[in-house]
Amino acid sequence: MRAWTLLLGGLVVWTAHFLALYGVASIFPGTTIANWLVLPLTLVAVAALIFLLRRSVVQMASRDSLDRWMGRLATLGAAISLLAVVWQAIPALAR
Amino acid sequence: MKSETGFDPALFDRFPTKEERPPGEIEELERVWRAPRGWGLLTAVNNNYIGTFYVGAAFMFFVLAGFLALVMRVQLALPLQGVLPQETYNQFFTMHGTLMMFLFAVPMMEALGVLLLPQMLAARDLPFPRLSAYAFWAYFIGGTCFFMSLFFGLAPDGGWFMYPPLTSTTYSPGINADFWLLGIGFIEISAIAGAIEILVGVLKTRAPGMTLARMPIFAWAMLVFAAMILIAFPAVILATLLLELERALNWPFFDATRGGDPMLWQHLFWFFGHPEVYIIFLPAAGLVSMMVSALSRVTLVGYQLVVLALLATGFISFGVWAHHMFTTGMPTLSISFFSAASMAVSVPAGIQVFSWIATLAAGKPRHNTPTLFLVGGIVTFVIGGLTGVMVAMVPFDWQVHDTHFIVAHLHYVLIGGSVFPVFAGLYYWTPMMSRRPLSERLGKWVFWLMFAGMQITFLPMHLTGFMGMPRRVYTYLPGMGLEPTNMISTVGALTFGVGVALFIYDLARNFRFAVEGTAGNVYGGGTLEWLPNGLYAARSIPVVRSREPLWDDPNLGDDVEQGRYFLPGTPTGQRETIITSPIRAEPQYLQIMPGPSVWPLLGALFTAGFFLLLTIQAYTPAVISGILAIPSIMRWLWETDRPVAKQEVDVGGGIRLKTYATGPSTHGWWAMIMLLIVAFMVFLMLVFGFLFVFGVHPEYWIDFNASGPALPIAAVYTAGGALVLLGRHLLQREGSTLWSPTTQVLLGCLALAGAWILDFALWQDAGIDPEASAQGALIMAFLSLEGFLVGVAVLMGAYLALRTSRNMIERPRSVTFDVTMLFLVYTAAQGAASTLLTRLFPGGL
Ligand code: HEM
Ligand SMILES: [Cu+2]
Repeated sequence: MRAWTLLLGGLVVWTAHFLALYGVASIFPGTTIANWLVLPLTLVAVAALIFLLRRSVVQMASRDSLDRWMGRLATLGAAISLLAVVWQAIPALAR
Repeated sequence: MKSETGFDPALFDRFPTKEERPPGEIEELERVWRAPRGWGLLTAVNNNYIGTFYVGAAFMFFVLAGFLALVMRVQLALPLQGVLPQETYNQFFTMHGTLMMFLFAVPMMEALGVLLLPQMLAARDLPFPRLSAYAFWAYFIGGTCFFMSLFFGLAPDGGWFMYPPLTSTTYSPGINADFWLLGIGFIEISAIAGAIEILVGVLKTRAPGMTLARMPIFAWAMLVFAAMILIAFPAVILATLLLELERALNWPFFDATRGGDPMLWQHLFWFFGHPEVYIIFLPAAGLVSMMVSALSRVTLVGYQLVVLALLATGFISFGVWAHHMFTTGMPTLSISFFSAASMAVSVPAGIQVFSWIATLAAGKPRHNTPTLFLVGGIVTFVIGGLTGVMVAMVPFDWQVHDTHFIVAHLHYVLIGGSVFPVFAGLYYWTPMMSRRPLSERLGKWVFWLMFAGMQITFLPMHLTGFMGMPRRVYTYLPGMGLEPTNMISTVGALTFGVGVALFIYDLARNFRFAVEGTAGNVYGGGTLEWLPNGLYAARSIPVVRSREPLWDDPNLGDDVEQGRYFLPGTPTGQRETIITSPIRAEPQYLQIMPGPSVWPLLGALFTAGFFLLLTIQAYTPAVISGILAIPSIMRWLWETDRPVAKQEVDVGGGIRLKTYATGPSTHGWWAMIMLLIVAFMVFLMLVFGFLFVFGVHPEYWIDFNASGPALPIAAVYTAGGALVLLGRHLLQREGSTLWSPTTQVLLGCLALAGAWILDFALWQDAGIDPEASAQGALIMAFLSLEGFLVGVAVLMGAYLALRTSRNMIERPRSVTFDVTMLFLVYTAAQGAASTLLTRLFPGGL
C-alpha cells in the first residue's frame, strides 16, 4: 500500500486539487470568493507535492533497483503534478 | 534483493531446472486444459477461444457501423439527396456512433486484453475465466439485439450522447431511446466485468519475477484502462438508469419544470464520455508501444516516461469532462479550469508520440504492413491531436462546436488513435492464433486504401465545418459552397470501405484459427506471448528477468517448452495458475480455476433477456428471465471455491505453494473490492446529482421533516454490518458450530432488509412523491439503489446458507464467506450514508 501511495500520490494530489477548484467555482459561481479560495487550496496542494517529492527523492537512492525505479517514477509523477497544479490555478490567480 | 511477501528472490536462481521431467506430464496438462468441441465450444472458457470470439465480434460491429457510415456519406455526397430520409439518418448517425464507441472500440480493447494478456504475462488464463465468458456473451447477445433494432425502425435517434430533453418522453415518445438506455446500460455492465478481470489479471497473475518495471507496456496500458473503466462507467450506468426511470416512471431528474436539470445528464455523461476516449486510446497506445519496439527491434525509448504518461492520462482525463459543455453557459471560472486541464492532458499523449518516433528512429523498422499501420496511425493521431488542442481553446470552440469540424477532429483521433493501431495489431498478432499469417502483399494495399481513404474523407471535412455545415443534419441546400468537399469526403469514405473489404478477403483467405501449430513469431517480438504455446498457454511459467525476455535469453523458449520453469505440469490435476504479488511478482499461492461451463452463457442470456425484454415492455417475460439469471449465476459460482485435497504442492524447483488462500492479498478479495469501487462510484455520482440539482433549483426543495428517524435507521444498518463481521470472527474460532457464523450473516441480512423497509416506509409516511419534483425522485433513486444492494445481499446470504448446508464453507477462512462479508458490510455502510444524507440534507443541517 505504501508503495502505491507514493507512486500515485502526486497524481492524486493533482486530482484532489482539480476537484476542489471545480467545487469552489461551482459553489460560488461568478464571484471573486472563488478566485480567492484558489490561492490557499493551491498552496496546500503545492505543500503536499513538495512533501511527496522529498520522500520519493529519498527512495531514488535506495539500494534495491525496483525501489529506485519506483522512486524515479514517483518523482516524475509528483514533479509533473506540481507543474499541472500551478498551471491549473493560473486562470483564477491571474485575475 | 528485497522481498514483498517474504518469498526469497534467491529461489529464482533454481530456474531453469536441470533434472528430467517425468513422462506423461504434458499429456496431463493437455487433458486438463482441453477445450470442448463442436457445439460444446459455446461453453469454452479458455482465453484463446473467448478472446478470439471477442475480437471477432468487435470486428463485426466495426464493419456494421462502418457500413452505416458509408450509407450516410452517400446521402451527404450531393445536396438534397434522397437516400436516407431524415428520421433514418438520425438513427444511422446515432447507431454508427454508438456502435463504434460502445460495441467496437471499448470491447475490442477488452477483447485484445483477454486474448493477449495471459500470454504476455505467461499466466495459464485470466483469473476468472468464467467471468470473461460471461462478459463476452452478455456483450455479444446484447449488442446483436441492439443492432437489430435498426431493422424495425426502432433504433435510437438521439445521437450517441442522448441528451435530454431531446431524449425525454416529450420529444422521443417511441421506445427507440429505451433501446439505447437499457441496451447500452447493460453492455457497460459487461465491460465492467471484463475490466475487473483484467485488473486482477495484471496485478495478480504475472509470471514470477515480472516486477512493475518489467511489465510489458500493454499490461500497463490495460491496468490504467481497466481502472478508468471502474471509475468512469458507473457514471454512465447511473445516467442511463435515471433517464430510463424518468421515461418509464415519470421521475423528473432531468426535467427543469419540476426542479430537475438536463445539465445533470451532460455532467454525468461526459464524466464518463471524455475518459471514454482515453479508455479507447490508452490500450491502443499500449499496442503501438509494444509493436514499435518489436518491429524496430530495439527496446522502447523512454519506457518509464511512457508508463508515467499512461498513469497521468488516467488521472487528468477525469478533469476535462466539461470541455464538451463549453457552450452551455457554465461559470467562466469553471470553464477556464477545464480548458487548462484539457490542454494539460495532451502532454502525456505527446510524450508517447515522441517515444514512438524515437523508437522508430533508433531501430531498424522494416517496410511491412504492421509498421505501415503504426506510422499511418501516428500521423493521423497527431493531426487529430492538433485540432484537439484547437478546440480546447474556448473561443475557438464556440465557432466550430457542432459543425463538421468536430466530426473531422473526432475521426482523426479515433481512427488514428485506435483503428489503425488495432489493424496493426491484427496483422502483428494474427500469427499467434492462426496457422498462417495474413498476407503482406494484400496488407500493404489494405493499408494504403484505408490510409488514403481516411485522409480524403476527413481532411476536407475541416473546411466543410468552417463553412458552417452543422453535424447531424441529413442534407444541405445547393449553392452554399458545400458540394465539393462533401463529394470528396464521400469518395474517400468509399475508398476506406474498399480497404476494409480487402482486409476481410485477406482474413478469409489466410486466417485459420489454431492453438497449436500456429505461424508463430513472424515479426520477432521479444515478449512472452511468443513463447511456444498450447491451450494451457506456455508449458511452464518462466522466471522473468528483463522486459524482453525472449531477446535476452535465447534459450528461454526451449527451456519453457521442456518444463524447466514453474508449474511444468498440473500438480493438483486441475486447471491452475500461479498468483503472484502485485509489485514484485513473487509467487504467493496456486489458484485453482474452473473449467468449461454452460452457466456463464445462460447467465448472460437471461440477463440480456431481462434488459431487452424490458425495452419492448414485455414485463412478465422480462421478470422471468431476470429470475432465471439468478440460479444460472449461482450455479456457475457453485463449482468454484472448492479446495483440493493437497494443501501444498511443489510448483517446480522444489518450491511449495498453498493451494487455497483468502484474505486481503488474494484475487477473489481484490475482485470484490473492485466491484465495490464500482458500487461506490454509482453512489457517489448519485450524491453529486443530488447536490447538483439542489444547487441549481433550491426553490423546488421542500422540508419533509424526515430527519428524526435518520440516526435510528443508520444504527440498524450499522448493526447489520456488525453482525456480519461477528460471523466472520466466529468462523475463525475453533469452537463455533457449523451454522453459527452463517447465522450471524443471515441475521445481518435481516437487519439490512429491516433498515431498508423502515427507511422506505417512513419516507412514504412523510409524503414523498417521486413524480412531483426532482427532490422526491432523487430520494427514491437513493432508496432504489440501496434496495438493489440489499436484494443482492439477501441473495448472497441465501447462497452462503446453501453452501453451509452442504458443508462447503472452508474453515477457518473461506473465500465465499469473505466475499459475502465485504459486500454486506459495504451495503450496510452505503445504507447508513444514504439515509443520513437524504434525511439530513438540506433541512436537518
Ligand atoms: C472511414 C470510416 C468512417 C466514416 C466514413 C465515418 C462517417 C461518419 C459520419 C458521416 C458521421 C455523422 C456525421 C454527422 O452527420 O454528424 C459520423 C459520426 C460519428 N462517428 Fe464516424 N465514420 C467512420 C469511422 C468511425 C470510427 C472508427 C469511429 C469510432 C471509433 C467513429 C465514431 C463516430 C462518432 C462517435 C460519431 C458521432 C455520432 C453522433 O453524432 O452521435 N466513426 N461518422
Ligand atoms: Cu473530451
